[in-house]
Amino acid sequence: MKTNKKDEETGGNVYAHLDKTSVLQEARAFNETPINARKCCFILSKLIYIIQQGESIGRTEATEAFFGVTKLWQSKDVSLRRMVYLAVKELAEVSDDVIIVTSSLTKDMTGREDLYRAAAIRALCKITDTGMLQTIERYMKQAIVDRNSAISSSAIVSSIHLMRKSSEVVRRWANEVQEAVSSDNHMVQYHALALLYQIRANDRLAVNKLVQKFSKNALRSPYAVCYLIRIATRCLVDDDQPDSSVFTFIESCLRHKSEMVVYEAARAIVSLPQTTPSEIQPAITALQMCCTSPKAAVRFAAVRTLNKVAMAHPNAVMSCNVDLEKFITDPNRSIATLAITTLLKTGAESSVERLMQQIAGFVNEISDEFKIVVVDAIRSLCSRYPRKHTVMMPFLAKMLRSDGSYDYKKAIVETIIAIIEENPDAKVAGLAHLCEFIEDCEHDNLSTRVLHLLGREAPKTPNPSSYIRFIYNRVILESTKVRAAAVTALAKFGAQCVDLRPSIQVLLKRCLLDSDDEVRDRATFYLKMLTEAAEGLIHNFILDGLQVSPSGLERSILDYLRSGSYSSPFDLRVVPVTQQALSQPEKRVPQLVEEEEKPKAPKVEPYAAQLAAIPQFAALGPVFKSSTRIALTESIAEYTVHMIKHTFANAMVLQFECKNTMNDQLLLDVSVELEDPDGEWETGNTVQIDKLPYGEVHSAFSLLEFPDSGAISGSLGAILKFKVMDVDPTSGEPDSDDTYEQTYVLEEVDVNVSDSVQGVAKSSFGSAWEALGDDATREETFQLSTVENIPDAVKKISEILGLVPCERSDRVPEGKTQHTVFLSGVFRGGYDVLSKATVAVDPNDNSIAMNIIIKSNEPLVADLVISAVV
Amino acid sequence: MLAMVNKVLDWIRSLFWKEEMELTLVGLQNSGKTTFVNVIASGQFTEDMIPTVGFNMRKITKGNVTIKLWDIGGQPRFRSMWERYCRGVNAIVFMVDAADEEKLEASRNELMQLLDKPQLDAIPVLVLGNKKDLPGALDERQLIERMNLSSIQNREICCYSISCKEKENIDITLQWLIDHSKAQR
Repeated sequence: MKTNKKDEETGGNVYAHLDKTSVLQEARAFNETPINARKCCFILSKLIYIIQQGESIGRTEATEAFFGVTKLWQSKDVSLRRMVYLAVKELAEVSDDVIIVTSSLTKDMTGREDLYRAAAIRALCKITDTGMLQTIERYMKQAIVDRNSAISSSAIVSSIHLMRKSSEVVRRWANEVQEAVSSDNHMVQYHALALLYQIRANDRLAVNKLVQKFSKNALRSPYAVCYLIRIATRCLVDDDQPDSSVFTFIESCLRHKSEMVVYEAARAIVSLPQTTPSEIQPAITALQMCCTSPKAAVRFAAVRTLNKVAMAHPNAVMSCNVDLEKFITDPNRSIATLAITTLLKTGAESSVERLMQQIAGFVNEISDEFKIVVVDAIRSLCSRYPRKHTVMMPFLAKMLRSDGSYDYKKAIVETIIAIIEENPDAKVAGLAHLCEFIEDCEHDNLSTRVLHLLGREAPKTPNPSSYIRFIYNRVILESTKVRAAAVTALAKFGAQCVDLRPSIQVLLKRCLLDSDDEVRDRATFYLKMLTEAAEGLIHNFILDGLQVSPSGLERSILDYLRSGSYSSPFDLRVVPVTQQALSQPEKRVPQLVEEEEKPKAPKVEPYAAQLAAIPQFAALGPVFKSSTRIALTESIAEYTVHMIKHTFANAMVLQFECKNTMNDQLLLDVSVELEDPDGEWETGNTVQIDKLPYGEVHSAFSLLEFPDSGAISGSLGAILKFKVMDVDPTSGEPDSDDTYEQTYVLEEVDVNVSDSVQGVAKSSFGSAWEALGDDATREETFQLSTVENIPDAVKKISEILGLVPCERSDRVPEGKTQHTVFLSGVFRGGYDVLSKATVAVDPNDNSIAMNIIIKSNEPLVADLVISAVV
Repeated sequence: MLAMVNKVLDWIRSLFWKEEMELTLVGLQNSGKTTFVNVIASGQFTEDMIPTVGFNMRKITKGNVTIKLWDIGGQPRFRSMWERYCRGVNAIVFMVDAADEEKLEASRNELMQLLDKPQLDAIPVLVLGNKKDLPGALDERQLIERMNLSSIQNREICCYSISCKEKENIDITLQWLIDHSKAQR
């Protein structure tokens, strides 16, 4: 009876509740004579178990245990020896001196006992470093072509792991690997092909040849064919002018006898960019075939792929709708979910209600992960059929009320927020659902998100006072974080709705007695602002968030404190600004929507530390803005150079990231010489790279002062100058001390207006526009010849000026012939720049005209900015 | 027939009187440790050996004694690990290249350092001067003097001059080892 109870407690797992110290204690049995093989096996498995559980073992303890394990080599027991190999692999990282077993493992790997050989190879490759690898090279080559498939496979897979640390050595085994590709064994062929590809992966031409070669003489192993399809797909995506035979090969695989290969080929084709409907069709048909497979895994794979490409090729996927409809009742809920969400993506507006009903039927049976898939599908549906929000909103609200994980709730809240932002009609209903949600929400993060949204959006609704009760309830009931957010939300109501202001002041006064000082501080500040400050100040301090980069602010304040002179107040304008207000959360992209490739704006931070370390540039102050990385050479040039422009208050620092791709050259004294043909720009301090060995990336810097003439744009010629020292390609040792000078012409360096402007969005553009006055207003009208439609024109103008659109004014409703976009930003030195640009299409000849008004609080800045467009 | 019966008797006797001993073989690189193991195990001498990276574990049966032999690499980076394999063995065999004058001092220092370890107290040591077939090789007496073996007082120590190539004095070495299998730990 008693023992039964004990069994229940441990759940039948003898390894549960293992203690590290006692296991290491037991490991002393390894040093006993004679060896008790059974007992040692058990101890070893315990040891491996605790390591696998993530228990960290100290170096001394691990080394002690490891040397104990080496003593077990004296036993001839086969299973014990194989456990020893496993233990050696586990301890390889944490123990010292693991190379001690090299000789023993080499012996086992070349010995007669086949049961030892494969495992010994794996252990050996785990413990060797690049230096030792050369001593076992001969054995590895033999093992790769061994007749026993397990041994060959393990040698090849180990080599794939070795590629990471010692690719040079592994590359020398290419001949053996090539031989292994022609093996009869499916696994060996597959592994060998993978290794062969990795050996050649850096050489595009060789990869192409590899695909050509193996696509012609048929590989036996379906795994290998699948791998080849993946390589071929990569070739097609990477190459600018892909070989048509590669595509033909993938297409031919659609008729392969293995289901796996057929699926892989179909998946490859549908996920290729730029394919014609006629190219896609056979692949879709193949996927359709997979849909009828009796195997759930195949059906799942097919429907998942269809789901993924549904947005890219809606028409093609629609042809499978009949099959997908059948899946709605599939006993496998994952398949059903994917089928329905695919149908939602491709289906007609009329079928939405029916499908939603079907989802509602089983949404409680599927896991949170798939619920998120459903939520994402609803989100994309709402943006396609905005009118359907009357169906979606109640559905989302119902999902929000049911139990679920944080991620699931977050997805729903984000979807509702997205719908509110995109569709003004849904705003009132959506806000009401969110209000109800925060009444009973256990996730502080989501509560604060919703409160922030309420503060921003609710005051603009017809009946703002109805939300105040929900918000004030939070001040009474919730945790500190939520209370503080609620206070801020209340203040935003007060700022925007003048008639509500007295009642908000009453509520804020009650918050002054809060138990937490953050909440009290906020309440005191807002109360003071709302009672005494002018309308403009209220806008600036309550509605517009602080648009600085947090780390930049920290650095600037630290500098200010260190300087020790407090006679002048801290100037917020020296702090680098960011596009995103501090309070703006990042947008989550729904998983099902294909992510757009956008060049990400670099953050100031990674470079700031680098620049600060250079004494010549220390006097320039904090970085105002850093540009994206711009290539000044072709990517396949002998020396590649990327430029990053860092703008400071009165100067620019150009950072040139140089890479030397010549393995027989060492470059010395590398610098970039700039020359302005107009003679306006002059180079100040430069920092050169003393030594640039093969394969390394280092940065040279040049300082450009903004010229006195006031010009803020220009083109400069750039020449890379350096001395070359010839070196031995293998060792990197110089052949002689002789050097010769060389130059290399780079592409021109352009300095634009946008380098001097950081886009900063205003949350209420109108009031900011009014506040600036009319002193520095410039207006210009011109024709745009390079763009063809309004959205492109809007994008272009914001790029040229470096300003960002406010209040979602960059969204151009379809079919309109005229649109006004509001742009805002900060000019270096901290001057506000606002702009209203009206774009109109002439219905007669489709030409595009633009009228742009630029305002600033500094007339000179307005002049400079307008000069960028004329 | 009689021989047959004798063999069977021997075998049965060995079942009852089987003894096991554990030895560790150390010494500088290229002194002939792995070669020595091969010679006593199979009687084969190989001229060109590769350096031992780590250790080799061999079990050798001589008569009714099974010898477990840890043959540890002699390169500098393995020397710190010798001690781990010497703990608790019946005897330590220290191999010296008697024909390599230059390494003799390093060899002596390594031996003294090893024997200073408290965990190895009282373990008998056999110093073997290998390669006596080579011209200029030191004999036992010179070796004892040069290796300063007489200074070691706290344990049993013995020195033989051997040649693995000519298989000289291998028999007396084996006898010494087997004699020490009974020595208490």
